[in-house]
Amino acid sequence: MDTAEDQVLIRSRSVVVRVVAGETLIVPIRGKVGDLGSIYSLNGTGSLIWKLLESPIKLSQLVAAVANEFQVDPNVAGRDVRDFVREMRSVGLVESPTVASISQERPVGREDRVLAEW
Amino acid sequence: MQQLSYGTFSADIHQRQAGERIPVQVAIEVTRRCPLECLHCYNNLAMGDLDARRRELSKEEHFRVLDELVDVGCFWLLYTGGEIFARRDFLEIYTYAKKKGFLITLFTNGTIINEQIADYLAQWPPFAIEITLYGRTRETYEALTAIPGSYDRCLRGIRLLTERGLPLKLKTVATSINKHEVVAMRQFAEEELGVEFKIDGQINPRIDCSQSPLAVRLTPEEVVALDMSTAKAVSEYRKLAKRDLENPPNLAQNDSVYFCGGGMNSFAINAYGEMGICVISQQETFSVREGRVKEVWETSLAELRKRKRTKLTKCVHCRIQSLCGMCPANGEMENGDRESPVSFLCHVAHLRAATIGVETPSHGVCEFCAGGSEHVSVMESARRIVQKEVDVESWTGAQNILPILNNSENMIAGGCASCGNH
Repeated sequence: MDTAEDQVLIRSRSVVVRVVAGETLIVPIRGKVGDLGSIYSLNGTGSLIWKLLESPIKLSQLVAAVANEFQVDPNVAGRDVRDFVREMRSVGLVESPTVASISQERPVGREDRVLAEW
Repeated sequence: MQQLSYGTFSADIHQRQAGERIPVQVAIEVTRRCPLECLHCYNNLAMGDLDARRRELSKEEHFRVLDELVDVGCFWLLYTGGEIFARRDFLEIYTYAKKKGFLITLFTNGTIINEQIADYLAQWPPFAIEITLYGRTRETYEALTAIPGSYDRCLRGIRLLTERGLPLKLKTVATSINKHEVVAMRQFAEEELGVEFKIDGQINPRIDCSQSPLAVRLTPEEVVALDMSTAKAVSEYRKLAKRDLENPPNLAQNDSVYFCGGGMNSFAINAYGEMGICVISQQETFSVREGRVKEVWETSLAELRKRKRTKLTKCVHCRIQSLCGMCPANGEMENGDRESPVSFLCHVAHLRAATIGVETPSHGVCEFCAGGSEHVSVMESARRIVQKEVDVESWTGAQNILPILNNSENMIAGGCASCGNH
């Protein structure tokens, strides 16, 4: 179950956040992450969740933070956060720390090799 | 979370920022060196030009400029040349820019792209990569590039990128050397590869003031015949003309020299770290080598962008401005003066109008308008194009590939006089 309360999540290392003309955007920068033909903009709640995802965090902690920040019922917050996280996972913007560390190691090693050879 | 296409986001930003100066778009020339020696090129230098290489921004200076560009909110980034891959450290600069979240377009001739580079780009994909194709046969391609073997290397680059599903587009610069293969190039791109194809008919003198590229420029009649070779283009020109005729002329609505997006939401940085309105306009540029992109944007470039017109030329009240390629940079390149109308572009615009059946309203003394010395010739060209007497499909067979013998009427003696380097 990809939205289990105790799962730990973190931002994908293959996206970058940019603020352009006052808008917060998530920009996929590597192959196979999200839809490279698209960018993703965040509203207030999304921005808070994204900020919290900077370091590993449990889904239950995200729900608690959103419920507290926006003073909403934890059940409502839980449903919204789970939907949001599911959506982000489906396009590869969020991942579990284990996957993140693996995907970070392989391409970076290859990148260094290509740049050195080139 | 809202998922947006880049096109939607771009349109939205431009609509929201209409009239405001925000530097969201930059073109960075990484080098002017190039392995090809194309006859029409406005800025290429030899690969072994050590002086040019020494003057180029270093990799570290590029990194610093990119940091500054993030700070000022730049998002769309074009890397151009010369040939971008002529720099062996280009992928390092590119990767740095990718990691900063720029939306990057690459302009290249494709001849240096090998498996390593293609694999790397597949891993760090650009938003778009555009290869200029100079011909559909080896003979024609290399007649323009002047480098044996370059045609096969270009096709290899195209194949490597398409095999990896990279967002490739092809384009060509139509010249007297390759005009007979434009249709074949379009078919190759659209039908064989399934990629977008566009034609650029604009050829400028070189930025060192040499007029040599004009030797291979198409005649106005040929430019317009190519323009009108697709129904879509004809319909697009009709829409533009209708809009122009129904609204007050763009230029008459403001009194500044510049009327494009240059200096408003876009700008350029040349290979030597000089920032200007666009890659073509090089008369006034400002060094950002020491790291002052924001300062130049807010001061020198702002002042240049607001500069007032000093002449009331025939362009100001022209009602077919959207059919014309005239801009201050083209005036600068061709006449050494941003404001002086470029006769070639004026001729092309009037011929476009005549070909789609639009009568150009009087806009001052103009040799191409009714009563002008060239009007009869314009109308005769329009008739020939409409009646398919000048038909791009018929530009087949062997061409004279000695450029100096083509379009000799377009050769202009001397230079633009804007510098002493003729």
